[in-house]
Amino acid sequence: MASAEDYGFLRPPSNDEYEPVYRKPSAYNPLQTFTLPMGSVRHYQQQYGDMYFLRLAKLKPAVEKVATDAWGELTVAGESARRVDRVLDVRQGELCWMAGTVYMDMPLKPNILEDLTRETFTSAPPPRRTYADPSNPSATQVMMEDESGRIRLTGNLLASTQLATGVIIAALGTETVNGEFEVIDFKVPDLAPQPQRWERGEAAAAASEQSGQDVSKGSGKIAFLSGLGITGTSSDTLALELLTDYLLGYTSIDGSDAASRITRLIIAGNSLGASVTADTASAGSDNAAKKKLAPKKYGYDASAYNSSPITQLDNFLAEILPSIPVTLMAGEKDPANVSLPQQGIHRAMFPQSRAYCAPPPSGENKEEVGWFDSVSNPWEGDVEGWRLWGCSGQNVDDVLRYLDFPSDDTDPTAERDDSEARLRIMEAMLRWRCGVPTAPDTLWSYPFQTVDPFVLETSPHIFFTGNQPSFKTAVIEADAPLRLDGDVEMTDSSGETPTGRVRLLSIPKFKETGELILVDTESLEVEVIRFGNFAGQEEKK
Amino acid sequence: MDATRFLAENVLNERRTVTYRSLSRALKVHAHRAKQILFEFHRIENAKKPQSVHATYLISGIQNPPEPPATNGHANDEDAIMQSSPYLPSSMPNQEVTSDQVRIASVIIAREEDLEDAKATFQSISMIHVYSVQPSTLQDLNTLTDVCREMATAHAQDDPLECGPQWGMIQNRNVKRRTGARPPPARAAAPAPKAKLESTVPAKRTLPTKAAPAKLESKPEDSQPASDSQSSVKSTGKPAAPKREKSNLFSSFAKTKPPKPKPTESATQSAAEDVMLDDASEEEQEELFPDSGDKVPSAVREGKKEREEKLKKMMEDDDADDEEMADADEELQREPTPEEQPPPPPPKPAELKEEVTVQDGRRRGKRQVMKKRTVKDAEGYLVTREEATWESFSEDEPAPPKKKPAVNVAKAKTGKPGGQGSIMSFFGKK
Repeated sequence: MASAEDYGFLRPPSNDEYEPVYRKPSAYNPLQTFTLPMGSVRHYQQQYGDMYFLRLAKLKPAVEKVATDAWGELTVAGESARRVDRVLDVRQGELCWMAGTVYMDMPLKPNILEDLTRETFTSAPPPRRTYADPSNPSATQVMMEDESGRIRLTGNLLASTQLATGVIIAALGTETVNGEFEVIDFKVPDLAPQPQRWERGEAAAAASEQSGQDVSKGSGKIAFLSGLGITGTSSDTLALELLTDYLLGYTSIDGSDAASRITRLIIAGNSLGASVTADTASAGSDNAAKKKLAPKKYGYDASAYNSSPITQLDNFLAEILPSIPVTLMAGEKDPANVSLPQQGIHRAMFPQSRAYCAPPPSGENKEEVGWFDSVSNPWEGDVEGWRLWGCSGQNVDDVLRYLDFPSDDTDPTAERDDSEARLRIMEAMLRWRCGVPTAPDTLWSYPFQTVDPFVLETSPHIFFTGNQPSFKTAVIEADAPLRLDGDVEMTDSSGETPTGRVRLLSIPKFKETGELILVDTESLEVEVIRFGNFAGQEEKK
Repeated sequence: MDATRFLAENVLNERRTVTYRSLSRALKVHAHRAKQILFEFHRIENAKKPQSVHATYLISGIQNPPEPPATNGHANDEDAIMQSSPYLPSSMPNQEVTSDQVRIASVIIAREEDLEDAKATFQSISMIHVYSVQPSTLQDLNTLTDVCREMATAHAQDDPLECGPQWGMIQNRNVKRRTGARPPPARAAAPAPKAKLESTVPAKRTLPTKAAPAKLESKPEDSQPASDSQSSVKSTGKPAAPKREKSNLFSSFAKTKPPKPKPTESATQSAAEDVMLDDASEEEQEELFPDSGDKVPSAVREGKKEREEKLKKMMEDDDADDEEMADADEELQREPTPEEQPPPPPPKPAELKEEVTVQDGRRRGKRQVMKKRTVKDAEGYLVTREEATWESFSEDEPAPPKKKPAVNVAKAKTGKPGGQGSIMSFFGKK
């Protein structure tokens, strides 16, 4: 074996000198879009209505422009479609169009009023797979609202369309005798303008060009990862060890130093395993009485808190940080606030890795970007000049619950393969220009007062979502508008100049798939590296 | 060769698993060379005696598309996905739903026995190397993780930024690491047992040690025989460690988290946290072992050097507390020395202790007292258990020394601590 193919390693030790390998530098410029004000400036007393108002104010002009282009000249049976400013101004029998916010009333949607009456409002709603009631599809109502009021939407079109609360659309149709609005067609804002690469910080671009010269030529790679799900037991981390080896260059895929081209690792949430919080919660309720009697001690109660997962995560980060900069997004299961935008996991959780954090802001000095950056979820920023927008997965998961699953599902427990739908939801979000449309309705959110950060004012180059069941990717372009109605009319893409291409990434849970996603920094091509062990005879015994 | 001996000791004698990275770290060789060393070792040993050494291999390359066995892959049948997704009617403009075009490379770990099977699942193999060697077949590959963790623990003191090139780690020129208030690679503190000791003895506790020795030295007439002091000096290093373990045990009874499971991690704990944890456990311990009066005055002197060392280290490490520490030090040295001298050192430890505390109470201050128990065992050897305890006394609670140390003593300034201490001890008593 050794004589035939030794791959350089299946042979006796040689005296080769190994040249040190240097990693390509990372150009990194995060945006603070989702950073909440600190301390006493952060209030929770505001009404959520402001967010919808802001969203509508921001997106209405965009969707009205799209609608005017499409329907401005439209006449049906001699009647021209009239634009109505407010939904309450719609006249019966008159062909018109209007723009507003979609609100969907679904039977199984968590309802704050119900919760209040039952006094269960203090705990998170139980997770549901869907808010629709499969046995009673008609219970789902779609409404459109604006500053003036609400009107119920009907029509066959809606049955074949998927929308979610919080989406801004323009709808064309007429009011029926029942006072409902029968929708013939509708438009969404479509992709927001996309910034040029290196739009922010040409200096950084130049710097990376220069420093790129003395390093090896060629494009870099951005690595994406999500759902590490570290539980602190030995069962979950062999793949993690292999990943560490790979990122640090101890193991290479093809003998080359490909790993050194990875300039940055982005971890999209759920770095800790589910059992951490769940077990703690249950243990907490069981021991509640006992705990009160126990004398107060400093530190935490070892019986109720297991520090092992976060310690393992810290070890992992501390091991790779000397070689690769890391952006760590908070996730659903991470020790961060629950409501979106989740703020970064505090550096105090990482006694070892925090040495690589940026120093805490002192006085007037603007906080500099850390080598290890614990960021919010969702998060927006520039990496290698590309604009990235990502979420740890709650946005897609929640919109999926609005979708109408086939009711003939015989086995409700079966894991449905909805990865395609998830990718389409991501596309829809970009075209809705709203990254988290269902906040603050069914996703907990900070009550923003002056700005709705979930509105995508610019389209990112890479739009990623973490913690998805499987890896998927696609490229969408702005010149082919989303036709949610299922109309397969092909727009002439050659006639228009595309305003942008967006790479969609649905990042799988590493814990389940062992997959690391690499995106080329020049071509935005994607590749996957899968880590695992071979289930051999020992397992089959 | 050194490497061969290392492997023989670890794998053949101690029957441990050695991965290429643990070998690389232990011998400070390049990871690539470590892989070759493992291969050579495996080959030679099995040539001598078949089946004496087992290996696991790491294979990387492109796997065959259907059913990658290593992962719980999701849906390999793309068609099914397409059909079963009626939720959003097809709107992808350019059919670049590229999941099948994406290059998927795999990194798979396989046992020696499964190597050929594993290779068969690969379309093309770009690299194979020995991942680990162990004396017997691994039942569970995940145990390799433990090896990695052990390795991280054992070599925690190696600064990755310095040792990286040796190991063959990819270097990064731009890495930013803070070297600020906190000692950054706290894990780099010390080899295991020492780190443990240090972490459990919080910074402040070491303070008085300087004072204590000083006062003892200043005494002209020391009642302790020389042999005793010698033995106590000898015993400094060793007895401390077992004692610590004990304290951990008790503190766990007390429902407190033992300082830290692993020595390396414990060192990283910030000093403040440790003080708190430790004080809590210390308190508990005090309760469990009430003073039995078997103290020997010389006990105070024991571990002097060790403590001085620690003191120095803490002074270096903990910038934040510098000022306070200096203050306390000064105070202690100033106050006790003159006071101590008049009373001849009583032969009985308990008396000494009482004396000291009484004086403290009068001097309206706080006083940190070293309590050490030296127990003479059957053979007449001195077995020393050191218990450094901080006690604070104010005018309010004078002579009789509280068993329970006030938690915040060391930190607080003169006036405050008395009140706080008494409150804590009140709660602790329950």
